[in-house]
Amino acid sequence: MCNGEKNSSRNNPSPGPSSVYEEDSVDAVCSVWRHIAVLTLLAFPTNVWAAESPMAMIRNTVEKATAILQDPSNQGKEKFQLRLAKLRALVEPQFDVREVAKRTLGTHWHERTEEERQEFIRLFTDLVQKTWGRALDRYNTNAQFLYDQERIEGNFAEVETRIFDPVQNRSFSLSYKLHQVDNQWRIYDVVAENVSLVRNYRNQFNRMLSKSSYQDLLQALQNKIKELDTLPSSTQERNATAG
Amino acid sequence: MRSIFLVAIFISIVGTGVQSGEVWAQEEEPEVQINDPWEPFNQTMFTFNLKVDEYALRPVAKAYDAILPDAAQRGVGRFFKNLGVVERFANNLFQGKFPRAGQEVGRFLVNTTIGCAGFLDVADSLFGWQEHPEDFGQTLAVYGVDNGPYLVLPFLGPSTVRDVTGSVVDGALNPMNYFLSTLQVFAIKGGIGVASAVNYRSMNLDLFENIQRSSVDLYGAVQDGYVQRREKLIKE
Repeated sequence: MCNGEKNSSRNNPSPGPSSVYEEDSVDAVCSVWRHIAVLTLLAFPTNVWAAESPMAMIRNTVEKATAILQDPSNQGKEKFQLRLAKLRALVEPQFDVREVAKRTLGTHWHERTEEERQEFIRLFTDLVQKTWGRALDRYNTNAQFLYDQERIEGNFAEVETRIFDPVQNRSFSLSYKLHQVDNQWRIYDVVAENVSLVRNYRNQFNRMLSKSSYQDLLQALQNKIKELDTLPSSTQERNATAG
Repeated sequence: MRSIFLVAIFISIVGTGVQSGEVWAQEEEPEVQINDPWEPFNQTMFTFNLKVDEYALRPVAKAYDAILPDAAQRGVGRFFKNLGVVERFANNLFQGKFPRAGQEVGRFLVNTTIGCAGFLDVADSLFGWQEHPEDFGQTLAVYGVDNGPYLVLPFLGPSTVRDVTGSVVDGALNPMNYFLSTLQVFAIKGGIGVASAVNYRSMNLDLFENIQRSSVDLYGAVQDGYVQRREKLIKE
């Protein structure tokens, strides 16, 4: 704002005395504002402005993911695994996978040893990546992403977005829940059409653990992953449903 | 009609208070245990409904999807929604949402006439009057009645005792009851139910498949999905 006003006065070929006076006062006001801005920044704890805003982080990731899906060198059914690997490399670091796993296990998390937790994180992440990666890959790449709002409360944030599919003329709500770890915002839950992923899996895991052992839960996860691996690539599926 | 107001007043007296507000930004997830004392029955019904879906609903919906363009499917969806005006009007009223109740009447008049019997939602595109889905289950929730036991009904799918009670009241509110015999009403509702189910299923083929693939315990996934989505509707 300040710079813009100064530039516009400079562009003026013959500034009259009154405009010079105005420019000075604009400068004075700007200088006061700059001081206030600097003081405000100093007054805040460093982590507030060190991290990229949650919404900016989500937007960046979505844009990069879209770029991967649209890149001609990644197209074709034989590139399916390559696309998934690239998506995973991009998306996984944005998640706090340990936090996701911990929240889905709820009270059962505390009963597990560190080794068991690591194994659970690995299996659960695998399952989520395989189902969501496939869904994303099938998704219409003309979809528009709308970023509605961002709420920050202490170390927690929520980013509300919508995906508009112009082909179906429908939009789907997708919210991200984040928390701050080492000055970085990390996703710990995704809420699709008002259904929290963490809460949904927690209900499933809770029910399973109340009926059978933890080993059975691991086995069920492994079976599900194997089942997903045997499915054809999503491009083939899309062609099959289209034909 | 008057008896329903009495029910609403009664509930507001015995109600246990409005449910707690939004939960987010918490170090630990709050424990949410879904009340499901009739699980063996529900499991059986759930399996039955899955079979109905696998052998009847899904194949029909797929064929329907191949024939009817997406835009037409959305039109059919809007047509069925337009028919639910009495339920939405009454329940917005019961919840004290008077401007919304008024908008529902306006929407019905505009969409039924200019909107070609409800196939088009011109009330939204011309006047910005959006639909405000409310049913008696939600009204009960607003007056403090909690879900009660989870209940899966054959053909109708997941619900709770509160929401089933709500559906019965909504059914009684329908003006068809005053003009037609019980059997006729039943037949018409059955027909509408089947047709709207096929239409809805055809619009969500991918979604259903995704849920089946990503779930380790499908019963639990659907159960929780129902409860979470109802919570959101009640909050609005």
